[in-house]
Amino acid sequence: MDEGKAFREYLNELKKHTPYDFSEYSDSSINRRLQKILKDYDISMDQLHERTKSDQEFVEKVVEEITVNTTELFRDPDIWTSLYDNIYSSLKNKKTINIWHAGCSSGMEVYSNLIILNELGLLERTKVFGTDINARMIKQAKSGKFALQFNKIQLDAFKASLKKRPIQGISSIDFDKYFIFNKSEDTLEAKDIIRKVPWFVKHDLVNEEIPFYNRFDLIFCRNVLIYFNSSLQSKIFKLFHDQMFAGGCLLLGNHEGMSGFYKTKFSKSGPVFLKNNSFHFKY
Amino acid sequence: MKLKYKAVVIGGSAGSFSVVSKILSKIDPKFPLPIILCLHRLKHVRSGLVEGINLKSNLSVVEPNDKEKIVAGKVYLAPSNYHLFIEFDGSFSLSTEEPLNHSRPSIDHTLSSSSYFFREKMIGVLLTGANKDGAKGMKDIADKKGITLVQDPDTCDVDTMPKMALRMMTPTKVLSPDGIIDYLNQLA
Repeated sequence: MDEGKAFREYLNELKKHTPYDFSEYSDSSINRRLQKILKDYDISMDQLHERTKSDQEFVEKVVEEITVNTTELFRDPDIWTSLYDNIYSSLKNKKTINIWHAGCSSGMEVYSNLIILNELGLLERTKVFGTDINARMIKQAKSGKFALQFNKIQLDAFKASLKKRPIQGISSIDFDKYFIFNKSEDTLEAKDIIRKVPWFVKHDLVNEEIPFYNRFDLIFCRNVLIYFNSSLQSKIFKLFHDQMFAGGCLLLGNHEGMSGFYKTKFSKSGPVFLKNNSFHFKY
Repeated sequence: MKLKYKAVVIGGSAGSFSVVSKILSKIDPKFPLPIILCLHRLKHVRSGLVEGINLKSNLSVVEPNDKEKIVAGKVYLAPSNYHLFIEFDGSFSLSTEEPLNHSRPSIDHTLSSSSYFFREKMIGVLLTGANKDGAKGMKDIADKKGITLVQDPDTCDVDTMPKMALRMMTPTKVLSPDGIIDYLNQLA
């Protein structure tokens, strides 16, 4: 049996024993992830099937391995200036601002955003939610504790970018206000001023109902949909669309576009997609 | 006319910027195949590469989006901080999964996924560079009977990458940058 087919069969098996459904993840990416699991655990396809049927803890590990957990502080430094120009400037006069980071991984982008919001004087009016399928990542996000050495590079890159392209006059940020830099333990710890603000919830974007009633002004979903096939992407675009205020904004990864029907329901403005306020029959 | 090949995929690392610039400045402006570039970038210099390569290129160079269709006559550059794959349906896909050979984008990922899709109908090119990325990908292309061109180590700024590939596989040809240009242009 060819490998791709074997992986499909495994995903069907996984679906039977768990709430997770990866059948609409993109083929090549899911194949790579499963290949990696077989290699890392040094097990055969049959053994993977067996353990999935009997060992719930193992299944959680598989799910954590399938999902990709890359995130950085201030990934794509220029984005934050554009976000101000296209979004935050218009939210300045709103009484409350709701933001959802869908697929937030360990929350580094959530914390980056909280810092920007605080610098702009908007933090007190903002509610921020972060969700991810991976329980381990949500736990880390809640702790606000990250590796120092790796993240120092991103903070320096952002500082340099800010000097060149200030955000509403802000050309430098004192990061000591937001983090404890613990060199001996190589950790970067978010201080309460940002750590206590967001709600982090484990949530599977694909199969679970959205865990909050709130509608959003801004949804971050960066480099998550690249792992989904086009039909699943369309479902998620609908879900975001329905969960946003008119004029609300969706921020995808730097090299992600929108396709399908919902593309017509958003307009691109700089790097963000704004929800159109068009009249829209349900049938 | 039906073309024998469907794509050229080029990997390069240290020293490859000037070689790629040279290739694209001398390539036939009517070159009929898509050219896909996977070049390592320095960690702290993430932007500006596509602009730099575009300066002298005869063909327009873009960084593709996820799920973008591959179009002949265009040059595609793997975006910074993403792996670039060819999907099973022949479109591009991007990923932020872990670096491979300390690299994201990784040349192995781009070359290997290309070899699965294009099989014998592609030309893989490996240029100067300082690590072993790309060797496995070139082997995959050779195994699928695609054409493989390795830059002559004597003409490389850093010859580790071509040498690692030559240790793992026997390419169709070992060529200087001018030789690579001539080889590609005779396809046009």
